[in-house]
Amino acid sequence: MTSPLTVLAPVSGTVIAMSDVPDPVFAAELVGPGLAIEPDAQDGSTVRSPIDGTIVKLHPHAFVVQAADGRGVLVHLGINTVQLEGEGFTLHAAEGDAVTAGQTLITWDIAAIAATERSTTCPVVALDAQADAVDRTAAVGSNAGDGTTLLTWGA
Amino acid sequence: MADPQKILDGLGGDENIIDLEPCITRLRVEVEDAAAVSEATLKAAGAIAVMQQGTVVQVIVGPEADTIAADIEDLR
Repeated sequence: MTSPLTVLAPVSGTVIAMSDVPDPVFAAELVGPGLAIEPDAQDGSTVRSPIDGTIVKLHPHAFVVQAADGRGVLVHLGINTVQLEGEGFTLHAAEGDAVTAGQTLITWDIAAIAATERSTTCPVVALDAQADAVDRTAAVGSNAGDGTTLLTWGA
Repeated sequence: MADPQKILDGLGGDENIIDLEPCITRLRVEVEDAAAVSEATLKAAGAIAVMQQGTVVQVIVGPEADTIAADIEDLR
């Protein structure tokens, strides 16, 4: 049995249920269970690593950090943001980097992305996790900030 | 990991694909003929789910989407 993995809020904002994410794949938790955050217009522009681990995938608009035990957490910044091709996103880390929870990985221009009429909602997914393995520690509607525990995986 | 050749088959083959791009956990594909897409074949190939709206198909394959997309490009 693996030890519980604490997943911190990668952006500051309001916690929302995954089922309310305006994307059918995330909403149905097809790639894993989790929660989403509607980022704060100002404080939400800094994107932090949710766990200690290695960046195994890094796009301007989304990334996966894998813990030493192999579990991966996906953070997606906004919906349909792949179409922006990096416009409005600044990377502060590289694929393959070892990172610590809370470390700044990306900054993004939320107002500019909202102006493209895309949702800025950020799904945080426990990749390939069993639905009952993830405890949604943060309450829907609560405010998540730097250091807030969002999910507890495998508790 | 999903089988790239079978994914390509399930999308109706090379000639049916107008555009294919990976996005972390999914392949976003625009096809010529929506009817040539086989959800059963895609699922048999290892896709977690398939979402199709007309000629726009999203094949959910998990975090290996980038690798699978690159493999499919190699097959085309």
